[in-house]
Amino acid sequence: MLEDLIVNGAMLGALYALLALGFTLIYGVAKILNLSHGAFYMLGAYLFYAFATMAQLEPFLALILAIILVGFIGAIIYRLFVSPIIESEVIVMVVTLGAALILQYLVMMLFAKGGAIEHTPLPRLLSGGLYFIGVWMPLPKILAFAVSFSLLAMLWIFISKSKTGGAMRAMAQDREAAMLMGINTERLCMLTMALSATLAALAGVLIPTSMYTDAKPDMWMEPLIISFAVVILGGLGSIKGSLVGAFIIAYAEQFVLLFLVGGESLSGTASLAVMVLVLLLRPKGLFGKRVEME
Amino acid sequence: MVTRYLRRFYTSFATYILDIPPRLLALLLFLLALSVPLLLAGNVKGGDYYLRIFILANVNALFAASWDILVGRAGQISLGHALFFGIGAYSSAIFATSFGLPPWITLALSVPFGVLVAFLVGFPSMRVRGPYLALVSLAFPLILIRLSWLESPINIKAVMGGDFGVQGIPKLISNGYTPLQVRIFEYYFSLLLLCVGSIVLYKIARSKTGIVFVSILDDELASKASGINTTKYKLLAFAISAFFASLAGGFYAHFMTGADLSTLLFGGPSKGLIVPGSFTVVIMTIFGGIGTIYGPIVGAYILSLLPLLLYKIIDVLSSLANLGLSIADIWNWTFLIYIVSVVGFVVAWQKGIAAYVVEKLDELTETEEIRKDRRKGKKGKKGKKRI
Repeated sequence: MLEDLIVNGAMLGALYALLALGFTLIYGVAKILNLSHGAFYMLGAYLFYAFATMAQLEPFLALILAIILVGFIGAIIYRLFVSPIIESEVIVMVVTLGAALILQYLVMMLFAKGGAIEHTPLPRLLSGGLYFIGVWMPLPKILAFAVSFSLLAMLWIFISKSKTGGAMRAMAQDREAAMLMGINTERLCMLTMALSATLAALAGVLIPTSMYTDAKPDMWMEPLIISFAVVILGGLGSIKGSLVGAFIIAYAEQFVLLFLVGGESLSGTASLAVMVLVLLLRPKGLFGKRVEME
Repeated sequence: MVTRYLRRFYTSFATYILDIPPRLLALLLFLLALSVPLLLAGNVKGGDYYLRIFILANVNALFAASWDILVGRAGQISLGHALFFGIGAYSSAIFATSFGLPPWITLALSVPFGVLVAFLVGFPSMRVRGPYLALVSLAFPLILIRLSWLESPINIKAVMGGDFGVQGIPKLISNGYTPLQVRIFEYYFSLLLLCVGSIVLYKIARSKTGIVFVSILDDELASKASGINTTKYKLLAFAISAFFASLAGGFYAHFMTGADLSTLLFGGPSKGLIVPGSFTVVIMTIFGGIGTIYGPIVGAYILSLLPLLLYKIIDVLSSLANLGLSIADIWNWTFLIYIVSVVGFVVAWQKGIAAYVVEKLDELTETEEIRKDRRKGKKGKKGKKRI
């Protein structure tokens, strides 16, 4: 029981971190509360399906093509819709939400025959599995864990060491000052959006294939809410915070699922309840910058 | 005697309404809204269906106006406003089925529960602000939805009915009327709720309290420094907003003869109707013009009726071009074009469509001096803070 909790929680935590990182990145850098993050997740799953099943490509090639394409779509959405209205918080929410709905309807019309909301089974990346400290782990889950963990490490190095990463951190601190230092903020925002969409799309392939769930055109709400919970718990815009937040949420869900009575219906509530509780104690999340009222 | 009163009434009517173009337009639209059932019922095939859309437009409009006073005026961004709507719908439905209370009493009872929940939710939400508040408020209805499936420690499912919700509650009037008469009654009643609600909200927004709300939106610290108890006013904004949202929810439950989980969700298109919810209310308000109270009403009306218009256009076009689209395909195309055009409008007219129209109408009546002043002022671009 305890091993189950430890192993499953770690798996889920890494995936949640992958999912939420893009969301926190785009908020930290560009102050965009991106409600279309879940739609990128959904689009990643569907493009993977299109490349792997419909075009009969190698699954790993299909995965890479799908996530790159979603990155481009993210950049286009930023350029077309978000960039003109970036000043106003509420309008950004409306426009990104609209973008999510546009993507949902496009997917519904392209992939679901008859136009209804249909389940689309995704091809498996790997099959089989192995025992890890007495817990049966299917290989797709291990792959998802390995990919997301190594990617998180790479991203950490990218943001803390590279020049672009430095520009991102500068912009997160002060947009105007970054602009004065010669950073092309517009292009950097677009790049961040593309990166965040790519991460969401990768999560969109890894999570359904490792959990053996089907793709649906309206599957974007659930991951969006999870990334909200993770990011808010850790503090908006804080990368360290969302890593910690992802593991807290994942362990809380697994704990409720395994140990509490009625856990199956409560496990989704646990993450949101933990988020609300933490926020009431620390209004800026665990690692959020404590900004006084301006 | 009578003529004198009539004349006095007419002069005040003329000065306060007829001479001010936006108010005149509002009056004309109101008269048009009054005549909707006369035009539709009985004359048009499927008039009942169209009336349903108009009733939903009224519900959406009241709900959106209630969101606007909280967000557009007091600046407390709430992404989970369906919580109040859903609580209103559920309390109405539960009182009607479990206790068998008559519909008018259950409709009235939905309001105190909505306000109570507003205090319960608003009080802890006072600590967080901005995007944090938006996401925390989003969490509350989702927690409630998940709790509604709970069976074992406490049986909430028995009360809230799980997936199916609480069904089979009576309409506001039922015995002795034909379904069409009931629809027409529901239409006028929803229009009455909308008019009274929007006038009250507009008056609150223009009152001293409303000014305090705007000061909190502009600069919370400054209003605190001026001796305003901002916590009290923010809670008040939550309560006022929840009052009208739960009233709309209570009416919606009687209109749909049941309350299900969709009342707590994000809303959106369902079978050609735009169902009210947390996200639709945001889109409608921004589309019409945030912070104006009349904007959300116009936005809700346009966005509730637009799918039908688009559907008809696409239907005609596809039959002309012999595309052979199925009904589901046409609806998908409709909503795709609908969402694209809404996003396009929002990006192009960030102020909102109603605010834009009212601004243009105001320019018609302004004197030469004001016009000159305005032109002078326009040189320096207005940097008004918008949330």
